[in-house]
Amino acid sequence: MGSCAVDGGCPSDYVAVAISSVSMILLLTRFLLPFLIHKVPHVKGSGFWLPAIQVLASFNLLVSIVVSLKVLKFERRHWWQSCYVWGAWIEGPLGFGLLVSCRIAQAYQLYYIFVKRRLPPIRTFVFLPLILLPWIAAATLIHTRRPLNFRCHMKTLWIIPVVCLHALYVLPLVGYTAAIRHIEFRFHEVKDLWWGILVAAASVAIWVAACILNEIHEDIAWLQVISRFVLLTMTSVFVLIFFSISSSQPLLSQISLRKREPQENVTMGRALGIPDSGLLLERGPNPLVDPNDPLDKLLENKRFRQSFMAFADSCLAGENVHFYEEVHELGKIPLDDSIKRIYMTRYIIQKYIVAGAPMEVNISHRTRQEILCTTDLTHPNLFEDAVHELLQLMTMNLAKDYWSSTFFMKFKEEISMRQDGQELEHLTGQNFSPRPSSVEISDDPFRPEHSLKKPSFDSHDP
Amino acid sequence: MLSVAFHTMGLLCSRHQHHDEAEIEENTQAAEIERRIEQESKAEKHIQKLLLLGAGESGKSTLFKQARLRPIKLLFQTGFDEAELRSYISVIHANVYQTIKILHDGSKELAQNEADSSKYVLSLENKDIGEKLSDIGGRLDYPRLTKELAQEIETLWNDAAIQETYSRGNELQIPDSAHYFMENLQRLSDMNYVPTKEDVLYARVRTTGVVEIQFSPVGENKKSGEVYRLFDVGGQRNERRKWIHLFEGVSAVIFCAAISEYDQMLFEDENKNRMLETRELFEWVLKQPCFEKTSFMLFLNKFDIFEEKVLKVPLNVCEWFKDYQPVSSGKQEIEHAYEFVKKKFEEVYFQCTAPTRVDRVFKIYRTTALDQKVVKKTFKLVDETLRRRNLFEAGLL
Repeated sequence: MGSCAVDGGCPSDYVAVAISSVSMILLLTRFLLPFLIHKVPHVKGSGFWLPAIQVLASFNLLVSIVVSLKVLKFERRHWWQSCYVWGAWIEGPLGFGLLVSCRIAQAYQLYYIFVKRRLPPIRTFVFLPLILLPWIAAATLIHTRRPLNFRCHMKTLWIIPVVCLHALYVLPLVGYTAAIRHIEFRFHEVKDLWWGILVAAASVAIWVAACILNEIHEDIAWLQVISRFVLLTMTSVFVLIFFSISSSQPLLSQISLRKREPQENVTMGRALGIPDSGLLLERGPNPLVDPNDPLDKLLENKRFRQSFMAFADSCLAGENVHFYEEVHELGKIPLDDSIKRIYMTRYIIQKYIVAGAPMEVNISHRTRQEILCTTDLTHPNLFEDAVHELLQLMTMNLAKDYWSSTFFMKFKEEISMRQDGQELEHLTGQNFSPRPSSVEISDDPFRPEHSLKKPSFDSHDP
Repeated sequence: MLSVAFHTMGLLCSRHQHHDEAEIEENTQAAEIERRIEQESKAEKHIQKLLLLGAGESGKSTLFKQARLRPIKLLFQTGFDEAELRSYISVIHANVYQTIKILHDGSKELAQNEADSSKYVLSLENKDIGEKLSDIGGRLDYPRLTKELAQEIETLWNDAAIQETYSRGNELQIPDSAHYFMENLQRLSDMNYVPTKEDVLYARVRTTGVVEIQFSPVGENKKSGEVYRLFDVGGQRNERRKWIHLFEGVSAVIFCAAISEYDQMLFEDENKNRMLETRELFEWVLKQPCFEKTSFMLFLNKFDIFEEKVLKVPLNVCEWFKDYQPVSSGKQEIEHAYEFVKKKFEEVYFQCTAPTRVDRVFKIYRTTALDQKVVKKTFKLVDETLRRRNLFEAGLL
């Protein structure tokens, strides 16, 4: 018992290491679950990277504790096994600091979007290193001054500033969460943030107590062993709970948690509870679609819109119609329900407007900048210019080809079938449209659930 | 059998990752493919796939229209009959309204932001007309271009402020056809106006998605039975992610680069120079693994605008051409400038072509997509090149 307290390798230590490994595995599973099982495609942007960095930081934290406290028995021969690397650098800027900074970045995003109603002015990948700077400075300071003894314990005088730094970082988290506490989020963000703060604060307290005991009473063997055990176990539990709470991209976790529901039906509109739209005249006179009508009037008819959307999808121009439809859904949310509006707006911006978005639309620079730099995300006419540009694009480019395509012919047939005894011109079966509407593409990004379909259209090339 | 091998290569070439269930897909797909190949080989057609690639507004769709205008045998589609020509009336009128709106709003903006603002301020009597036309241009549903409206637009166009704004057109997104349409307003507003082929070629519409035609070139030896499938795409940044679907089994890529755009900014990003964007795009296309054996035809387009511009605006305003030294003036200078640009593109081509690929065909053509004769000749040359290459590959040359 005596030697293992100093050198590490006590049975309790092994148990603690086992617990931390289990928690790491659970953490990884929890993180990767949406991507592997449910094949959620969006692997871009802070929605993916922030949780990924958190997992990495948690891993660093746990390993740094294992190594610096000598939980396992090994010799310190190489420079990279030294106390300073693990105890200072990896525990601080790359461990605890990074972990809490990620949460702060998420809280900051939420604050800007829901309280200030605009997109955050500083991009996350700039914001994160910025708030890590104090940690890096502290680690450098410790590295140069070398206050750690051979057992990786700090002198008493140094403990206080280090503890302050740790506690200091929990404060902005409290601050941002307090600022957004009055907002009724749809997906429990505030509750999760409060939980996160609670866990972080409790862990800091326990960590402080264990560290102090560890350092002050370096000679009492059983205290060393117990404090090490408690420290490692608490940290494992802490990182697991800290991560389990949802990130600021709620839809992702919603999809992953609702395993039983089929993938296709989860759109943001449904998740927010927006009712389906468009005229669906089952009975009564169904006005025949007149090509001379302006396109926005025609698109109000749901059946026409679906047919047009299918045509656009087939010639890889579907994002225009999808965008139009989702902005239309946004328009149905009442003006005073600003939280829902912000969710939908943000979703539309990330899906259609941001450069490199999965279904980016063809709008001018000016229109895009106006949307991205807006000071009011709840403005009812935020997307008006973009919709206007795209309607013009669709009218001049897509609509001409649509009238001569097979999709329109099918649509006409459908209508004629619903109307008894009404004469319609008999159309020939040939497709005169220059759009390749008869081809199917196997990896269609717009319809991931229909990937089990016909082969790619250039299969018969020599 | 060869086709199946090509198809397998094509599948390998495809960018998208296959999961386990995709393999079951592939088996059903393979059966479907076999059936299709049998059908096609019965028709004994040698189909060549051509892609028109390039940045936004580089002239791809104009070339595409040219292909449809030529007296060639179009398969499954109709050429440009009168009905189709008439369908362009709305597009042309839309172009007119949009152009005058851009000019009017541009002059207002320049009047606000420029130090020497007085020359961008409209004369008093034209202010109302300007507001009215700007309002019309902002609508979705344009009114028919009547004689009165055409008269008002012409008045506004002749205003000094608008002309000043037009001379600074490279900072605004003014279409290249602005001058042409403004000069022809009387004809365009005629009651029985039917667009000429030239009008149709000048009409500007951003392409979104993919458009395709199949045609068979009518040449001297009609026995060839060659069929071309020509694909036109959108050039803006968001459209380029769709290109990857077309990259398999391509015989030739026709890359359009508008050389007159060296002082203009992108439609989708007004902080990026168009020539630099074209260069980056060209590099990206050249490096695609699917294009190892693909012939590249580089069309240096908009030569007519280049001719006029290069004497007024020096080439070195574009960062890529900053080492350009003008040597003379007039026609010699134009030729010199053109050769310089051509050499720059050749450099890019050879930088981005691995030694293993150096035997793929690469040709540069000087074109003006609006000129029907030039394009006809160029298509003929392209056709010859491709045919020669096919014979070469088949071991007959």
